[in-house]
This record gives sequence, structure tokens and C-alpha cells, in this order.
Amino acid sequence: MNAGWAEALPWTIVLPMVGAVLTPAVAARRPRLAGTWAWGVLLVASALASGLVYQLATTGPFSYDVGGWAQPYGIELRFDHFSAWVLPLLLLFVVIVPFSWRYLDHVMPDERRPAFYALLLLNAGGMIGFCVTGDFFNLFVFTEVVSLSSYALVAVGGRGLAAFAALKYLFIGAVSSLLMLFATAQLFALTGSLNMADVAGRLADVGGGPAVMVAFAAYAVSFMVKTAMFPVHVWLPDAHAIAPSPVSAVLSGMVVKIGIIGMLRVYQVFFAADVLELGAFNQTLVWFGAISIVMGAFFAIFQDDIKLMLAYSTISNIGYIVLGLGLASPYAVIGASVHVFNHALIKATLFLAAGAIIHQTGLRTLSDLRGIARRMPQTSAAMAVGAVSIVGLPPTAGFVCKWYIALGAFESGQAPFGFALVFGALFIFIYYVRMLNAFYFQEPVHDVVIEANEAPWSMRAPVIVLATLCLVLGVLGGIPLSFVEPAVLELLPFWGN
Amino acid sequence: MKPWSLLLVLLVALPLVVGVVNLPPHDAPDAPIHTGVGVRYLARGVEETGNKNLVTAVLLNYRGFDTFFEVVVIFTALAAVLALPRGSAADPGGAPAAAAKAANGSDIVPVSPVVSYVVRLMAPFMAMFALAMLFRGHVTPGGGFQAAAVFAAIFIALGLVLGPTRVAELVPDDWRPWLQGAAPLAFALIAAIGWRLTGAFLGFPTDDHTAQEAMGLFLEVGIALGGGVILARLFVEMET
Amino acid sequence: MLLFGLDLDYVLVVVLFCVGLYMLVSKSNLLKKLLGLNVMETAVFAFIVTSGMIEGGDPPILVAGTAAPYASPIPQAMVLTGIVVAVSVTAVALALIVQIHAHFGTIEVDELKELP
Repeated sequence: MNAGWAEALPWTIVLPMVGAVLTPAVAARRPRLAGTWAWGVLLVASALASGLVYQLATTGPFSYDVGGWAQPYGIELRFDHFSAWVLPLLLLFVVIVPFSWRYLDHVMPDERRPAFYALLLLNAGGMIGFCVTGDFFNLFVFTEVVSLSSYALVAVGGRGLAAFAALKYLFIGAVSSLLMLFATAQLFALTGSLNMADVAGRLADVGGGPAVMVAFAAYAVSFMVKTAMFPVHVWLPDAHAIAPSPVSAVLSGMVVKIGIIGMLRVYQVFFAADVLELGAFNQTLVWFGAISIVMGAFFAIFQDDIKLMLAYSTISNIGYIVLGLGLASPYAVIGASVHVFNHALIKATLFLAAGAIIHQTGLRTLSDLRGIARRMPQTSAAMAVGAVSIVGLPPTAGFVCKWYIALGAFESGQAPFGFALVFGALFIFIYYVRMLNAFYFQEPVHDVVIEANEAPWSMRAPVIVLATLCLVLGVLGGIPLSFVEPAVLELLPFWGN
Repeated sequence: MKPWSLLLVLLVALPLVVGVVNLPPHDAPDAPIHTGVGVRYLARGVEETGNKNLVTAVLLNYRGFDTFFEVVVIFTALAAVLALPRGSAADPGGAPAAAAKAANGSDIVPVSPVVSYVVRLMAPFMAMFALAMLFRGHVTPGGGFQAAAVFAAIFIALGLVLGPTRVAELVPDDWRPWLQGAAPLAFALIAAIGWRLTGAFLGFPTDDHTAQEAMGLFLEVGIALGGGVILARLFVEMET
Repeated sequence: MLLFGLDLDYVLVVVLFCVGLYMLVSKSNLLKKLLGLNVMETAVFAFIVTSGMIEGGDPPILVAGTAAPYASPIPQAMVLTGIVVAVSVTAVALALIVQIHAHFGTIEVDELKELP
């Protein structure tokens, strides 16, 4: 039953991990080699991942039994349409890593590079594992690999405040991981199994009841913390703003999506078991999503620091995704699933462009950076493309998803939320217009800005590639949409409404 | 007493209590835990894995993939500590160790001769205990992680007495990256060997008990070495 | 053990969890917060181990001298993994606290918030 590219499934997870473990040995003599090594490992991992996606496209979802143990006795890896997210994820890493080569010069001494790239590879490997595992306890272990490396990545760049932000992130993240472990133990006590498909089957026999509901709620709260939904978002802005820019791109674009993917996994199990009435829960998601959109955008308006502004904008965009999932209509869920990817792309563009500007000028507030577009036209243009994209204006990647989610709101008869979405987009529009206005139409006030130069090519090229992709995906937005459509349509009949 | 934190705790406590009191009673033989997948492990674990200690069987064989990434987690902790900036902005060298060095000419914080003597006396016995846990782990409680913890304890205790520098010298610089990664690398190697032998990633040949035991032992030694070195290094890095 | 029809062992685990949570949210000292987190972790591990116990059961090591019924081996393996994860999180947290202390000279949140 394991045939073709399915064989590569465990190796795709293990490769970045082993690459990370080998980084200190590889870079023992020349620490700067670590960056190239990490890039090479990620390239190979992406090749494996594209094989997996090819297999998925030709034969449909497939599983791999680790150790050859029949289900549910061993650990099952499952590659379905939601897992396909690992390919764009790895490709984004492949673009982000070259950016970090030069960027790190100002951030850390050379001898710490091997540890930094090891963490980055562990982070990537953990996310791949998280997306493909079919076992609840394994999901927890991968969550910890991702979380632990993320906490550290926040603090690598700065002293004092960075460590404080990372520690805040660590405390909140660790509590949410504990809730996840608690929920796993709860399900295990109820069913005697850890395999997701098997748990779903046994849960159906157990029936509903308060214990099942508490397990579900613990998962939901845990994943909401990981995605930084509005009431539990407090860890995100500081952590994402203070991290080095390539790390911010990874954290904001990809690590927060862990919560979304996890939520989808838990949904799959509980709906397959059909033991809970989830309409009410969906409604809660819709409300939290809508509040996140508006509050995230609202706070973003008042930020002068560009990275802090981008961090709040992440909260708002996660709100869009959660709102889409909660609406539970085909259009909305498809739009939300694709926005998981598109937001990662757009946020990576914005954070890397911001990073290039910060690297060249050492400044990070809108008021200091007035007029920067004159000296750094290409980076500023990429920033503009990202901004237009994230607002969701037509020729760009952001438009397609938000349009689908809005359509979904009207389709499911929840028009007010459609308006909340448009209202949120208006807020987002305001703060990005503020940024573009400062960059393009105001006189420089800072000497550094007047004398700034474009970033070196190793930083400029990734930014330009990402910005171009934002535009291309605006035109070809139908491809990812049609890709997730079958998965969503398969899942939806169970989806509460 | 801070009222809002108490309120938060109660808010969390209520659903959790409701959740746990509605679980099936755990002591009963017919609880789902005792009728679920565990039944097969108890019935066929020894025959399928060659491990009489079924916790080890679950850890290394049935759910070896979890353990693989568990050792990756602890490697992540080391990478994290190594990636963080050292010391304060004013004194990147790390103040306490540097000060001690300046005062004594070495980095040993003085300890009582009694402590020093007892630690040095006990170290070999601790090492024997660790080895026993490591090599008897398949029939008695124990195993790679437990051995790793004891090994690290020896390193740390000796480090306090002899000074961290002298203990760090026990591990040559060239070996360090390989020893730190010993556990994940051992897993990757066994995974590849299992793939060759059985066609499944991290598969163990169920019909060949000698090969199975050798592979299991290799993993345990890898975990004990790698885990021990990482735990000790975490301590040393934190101190300086 | 049952008390008023409630599973007392499980309830005590939740109490322990909440003690840890209270330490985490109410203490100002970062080290005490970390200890609170460790107490919470211990509570969850105790919950998992408890769930695998069986009346009059032996440890799941099938050698001479033990007999059925055996406690379930899976929760014990899960907790072993969980402990290693907890150690790693604690190590990273301690490294961050050392950083904070080296930079600000304090690890009291109240004082850290007053710094510019």
C-alpha cells in the first residue's frame, strides 16, 4: 500500500531535522556555511514535498504506517489536501533563508549562526510533521518542536526586551500546549486510542457527553492561543515585532497557521465521529473572527513602528481565516483555506521588505522613514504590492480569498459578517495608505534616509520574487482554489451547519 | 491574593473538573484505556518487539516516531540556548564567570572539601548505576533517558567541584557536534536500516530478535549519550 | 478513589493544575512563574499516569514475579516523552530569564514594567 512518493513522506519530515542536527558539525570551521547548508537542505526537502503533492494530485490522499505497524497500533502519517500546505511552506522558507544571510550580519556574531539555522530547520521540520501526522500525541510532539524553536527565534536578535517578549510567548504558548496534551489525554481516556481516524471511530461508539465536549474545548482554546485570536493575542505583537525580520516572516506567515491546521484536524475527527453539535461553536468562531479582524486592524492604525503594525495586521488576517472557517459555507471555507497560504506569502513579502529597509537604515518607525521610496524604489514597490495585496484589492493574491470569504458570508445568510469583513478591510486600507503615504509622498526628515542605498541583491531578490508572486497569484488565484475544493467539499457535510 | 487571577483560575478549573469527573473510572479493568490499543501491546508486545519492558517497547518500537522527535525537542532546547545572546550588553563575556576567573585565576567557585570529596567518591558509582539503567532497561524500569539524566548529573556535580572548564575538556571539540546530535542521528540511522531491512521507515525485523535487540540497544545508547551531553551542556551554557 | 461519586484522583489533579496556574498568573517573579508552569506540567503528567492505572495492577514489565492485570504502558511512554519536552521548555525559559537578569538586573515583572 506504500507506493511511489508515499515512501518519501517520513523522510520529508526527518530531512530538515537531521539537517539541523548536522548544522553545527557542517559549520564547525566556517560558521557562515550554516546558511548555505540550511538552504540546500530546504531545497531537497521541497523537492521531496513536490513529489508528495504530485502523488496526491494523481492518486488522492495517502497514508504511511511508520515502522510498518498496522493502524491503529503504530503512528500513521496522512497526506491529504490540507497537508499539501507543506510544499508552499517549504518554498517560502527557500526564499526567506537567502534573505537572512546578509540580514544576520547586523543581528548576531558569526559563531551563533549554526545554532540559528539549526533552529530555523527544526521549525520547518516541525511544521511539516504537524501538517502530515495522523496521531494526536505525535501532533503534540511536533507542536513542541515548532513552539520551542519559535520561542528561541524571537530572542536571538536582541537583548533584554527581546528575551522578555520571548518569555511571555513561552509562558502563554506552554500553557496552550499543556491544554493540548490534556485534551489528548482526555480523548485517550475516553477511547483508548491515539490514532485520529481510530479515535473518531471509537468516539462515535462512546457518544457525546461533557467529557468529549471538554476535550474539544481544550483543543479549541489551545489552537486559538496558537493562532493569536483576539482575546488571547497578547503574546503576538511584541514577539513578532522584536524578532529579526526573516524570523518575523516565518512566525507571522507560517507558525501561527499551526493553530488553523490543528483546528482543521480536530474538526475532521469530531465531525467524523458526529458526537457534538458544532453549530454553536462555529458561531463562536465567527464572532471571534470578526472581532479579531476589527480589533487587529484598529490597533494597527495607531502603530508607528512598521513591524508592530505588520504584527497587528496578522491578528486581523487570522481573523479572516477563522471567520471563514466558522461560516461553514463552501465559498467561505475554501477562501479561508487558501488565505492560509496567501497570507503567508503576503506577510513574508511585507516583513522581508520591511526588514530590508530596517537593515539599510537602522530605522523602523513611519515618521523616521518618510520619503524612503526615493532611495529604495524597488523595496518600496514590493512593500506597496504587499500592502495592496493584504488590503485585498483586485489584481493581487489577497483579493481572491477575501472575495470568497465575503461571498460565503452572504451565501450562508450571515450578511452582517460580510459587512464586518468589508469594514475591517477599510481599516486595513487606512493604515497601509498611511504607510505608503509616508514612504512615497513625504519629504525625508532623517539624514540616514536621504543617504540610504538599495539593499544588496541577496536581500532584494527574495523580496522581488515574493512581490511578483503576489501579483501572479492574483491572476492565477484559481489554481489553489480548485486544489483545496475537493477536500473542503468532502469535509463540509459534517461541518455543523 | 489577586482577585482577577483567582477568577481566571476558577474559570479554568470548572470545565476541567466537569471534564475529568465524567471520564470512565480509571481503575476498572473494562475502562477504554484497558480495552483499546494497549491490549495488543500487552498480548503480543514481547513477541513482536523482544522487549519485556513494555514501556520501552511502546517507546522504541510501536511509537518510536514520537521518541525520535522527543530527542529532537531536547536538541532544539540546546540549539535555542546556543542561539541566544550571552551576557549583558555592557559585558558580553558573561559577568559571574569572568569575575570568578579574575579573582581566583580559575573558574572554580570554591566548595567545601567534604562536598568535593563526596562528589568525586560517588561519581564512579553513579556512572555504574547509569550504565545498569541503560543496559538493563529492557527488563527493568529504566532506559536511555533515565541513564542520560544520571550521566548529566555526574557531569554537573563534577563541574561544580572541578570547575566547568575541566569537565568540558572531557569532550573534545571535534566530537562535540556529533555527541550532541547522537540521539537524533542514532534514530535516523536506525530508521534507515529498518527501511532497508523491513521496507518500513523505523521498522524493526519482528522475526529476528537479535537484530531487533541490537537496534534497540543502539538507540538506547544514542539517547543516553546524546541526552546526557545535551543536559550537561545546557547547564554549562547557562552558568557562563 | 471515589468521594460523593466523584473520581477523587482526577479532581486532585485538576486542583494541582490550578495551583500551578495561579502561581503562573499571580506571581511577579519570573522564576516563580516558571515553577508554576512546572507544577501545571506535573499535574497533566499525573493525570495521564493515573488514567493508565488498573485496580491491583502490576507495572507493564513482563518478567517473572509480575502478573496480570498490568497497568497500560502507553500513558507511561507518553509521560516519559512529556517530561523530556517539559525539561526542554524549562531550559529555554531559564536561559531567557538569565538573559533578562543580565540585562535589566531584575526578574520581577512589576519592576520590569516600570523600566523605560
